[in-house]
Amino acid sequence: MSFTHWHGDMEAQYIYTAGIAGERFFRELKDNGKLVGTRCPKCDITYVPPRMYCEKCFAELDEWKDVPLEGEVVAHTEVHVDIEDNKLAEPFVIGFVRIDGTQGGLVHYIKAPEVRNGMKVKAVLKDDRVGSILDIEHFAP
Amino acid sequence: MTIFRRRLQETGKEMSYEASKMALEEAGLELKDVDSVVLGSAPDAFDGIHLKGENLLDGAGGAGKPYLRVFVGGGTAVFSPIAGWWHVASGLADVCLVVAEEKMSSCFPHPQSAFGHIWDPILDRPLKPNLVWIFAMEMNRYMTVHGIKKEDIARVAVKNKRNALDHPCAQLAADLTIEDVLNSEVLAWPVQMLDISPPSDGASAMILASEEVAKKLTDDLVYLSGAGWCIDSTMWTDRDLYFPEYVARAAKMAYKMAKIENPPKEIDVAEPYDPFDYKELHHMEGLLLCDKGEAPILTREGVTERDGDLPVCPSGGLLGVGNPIAATMGIKACEIYWQLAGKAGKRQVPNDPQVGICQAWGDLMQYGSVLIMRRG
Ligand SMILES: [Zn+2]
Repeated sequence: MSFTHWHGDMEAQYIYTAGIAGERFFRELKDNGKLVGTRCPKCDITYVPPRMYCEKCFAELDEWKDVPLEGEVVAHTEVHVDIEDNKLAEPFVIGFVRIDGTQGGLVHYIKAPEVRNGMKVKAVLKDDRVGSILDIEHFAP
Repeated sequence: MTIFRRRLQETGKEMSYEASKMALEEAGLELKDVDSVVLGSAPDAFDGIHLKGENLLDGAGGAGKPYLRVFVGGGTAVFSPIAGWWHVASGLADVCLVVAEEKMSSCFPHPQSAFGHIWDPILDRPLKPNLVWIFAMEMNRYMTVHGIKKEDIARVAVKNKRNALDHPCAQLAADLTIEDVLNSEVLAWPVQMLDISPPSDGASAMILASEEVAKKLTDDLVYLSGAGWCIDSTMWTDRDLYFPEYVARAAKMAYKMAKIENPPKEIDVAEPYDPFDYKELHHMEGLLLCDKGEAPILTREGVTERDGDLPVCPSGGLLGVGNPIAATMGIKACEIYWQLAGKAGKRQVPNDPQVGICQAWGDLMQYGSVLIMRRG
C-alpha cells in the first residue's frame, strides 16, 4: 500500500462466563448429554438455550425443562469460502435447528446427504464433553 | 458525501471533515451556525480506535459543541438523522449537523475479522461464524417460505449496480446481467459474490434546521415528517426470519407520525437498506410497500426501476455505491432529500416525488430505522 501507514493492533484478551442460565445448560450437556431449557409459564415460551429471564414479561425464570435432542431445520446455508474469502476444499452446511417443543433452538453444523428446510435432525454428541457448544458434534437426520 | 472506496487515503476525521464541509456549503452555512452535532459510526473495531466518536469529533465539527455519537449497527445510516431530528424538533438546536463516517479498511486484512466478534461468545463463536452465514440463512428462509427463485433476487443487484452508474461516489457501479450474478462465486449458498455490497471507506453529512431557519436558507423546503425505529431481541433464533417484523413496527411508527395511511399509494420514492439484494425485497415488505412475498414480483415487472411507479434505490444503493456502514446515510437519507428537492441530477426519478422514505437495518438482523420526508 502506497499511503503512509502504521500497522497496529488493539491487544486485549477476554474470559467469557457462560452465565447463570448458561452454566446449567452446559453442565447438563457435559455431564448428562441432555439439552435443557427454561420456561416462562405466563407467556408459555420455552427458551433454548435457556435464559434466566423472559424477554417478553421480564419474569425471572426458574422452571427448568428437559428438551429433546431432536428438532427441525428452519434455515440453512452451504458455506463455500472461509472468513478471508478463500475457497474451502469441502463446503459444509450450517443451519438453525428449532428444538422440538420449544420456541428456541441452536445454530450448528448439519450433516446429511441433502439438507432441506423442514427436515428432522438430531444432535450428535461427542463422547468426551467439556461443557461447550462444540460438545454437539453436529446435527444429523 | 465523499466517494466510497475500498481504501481511502483520508483518515476518518478527514473524511468526516470533507462530508461536513460539503453539507455546510450546500446549505449556505458555516460551522459557527451549527448548534449541535450528531455523529453516526459503526463498531470501533472497524477504524481500530476505541471511543472513535471522540476521535472523529474535530473532523465532524463537534469540538466545543453539544456532540453525540450514535451507533446502532447498519441502522446508524438512518438513525443518525433521526437523532439529529430530535435535537431540532425538541427546540434544543436550530441547526444540527449530522455526520456519518466509516473507515472499514483499517481493519486488516478484512473487516470480517471485526464482525467475527459480534456473536455470542459462548453459543456462537466456537463455531467460528462468518457474518455472511446468517444472511444466507435469512435469504434461504425468505426464499423457502415464498418459493422465490434466485434470479428474481439477482434482478435487484442488476438494477442497483446499474443505477449506481449515475452516482459520482460509486464504488461498484456496473452494467451486469442476471446471469453474471448467478454465475458469480458462491460464498454461502444462496449468497454469491454479486449478491453482496462491498466494504468501503466513506463519510456523508446532512444539515437539519428548524423551519424558521430553513425558510431563510431556501424556498424548496423538505420536511422530516415521520421517524420510527425498533429493535428485536438479539436472540434472532427465536423468531421467523422470513419477515422483518421490527422494520414493520418502525415503519408503522413513522407512518403514524407522517399521517400516511396507504404507503404503496402515498410513497413516491424509496431507499430501503440493500446490503444484499434480497434485503431490498425483504425491506420493501417490512416497510409495507407491498404484500409479503410480492416484492420480487414488482421488481420483475419493473415497478421499482428509476422510471417505474415506485422507484426503489434510485441512488444505486449499497449494492452499487458501496457499504461504508453508517456513511450509507449518503445514499439513504441524503438521497431522499436530493430526490425530493429535485437535486438528484442524473439519478432524479421522473415521477415528481412529493413523499419519500428511507430505511436502514443493522445489529444482529434485529434493528430497523425509518425516516419519511415530504416536500414543503
Ligand atoms: Zn414471560
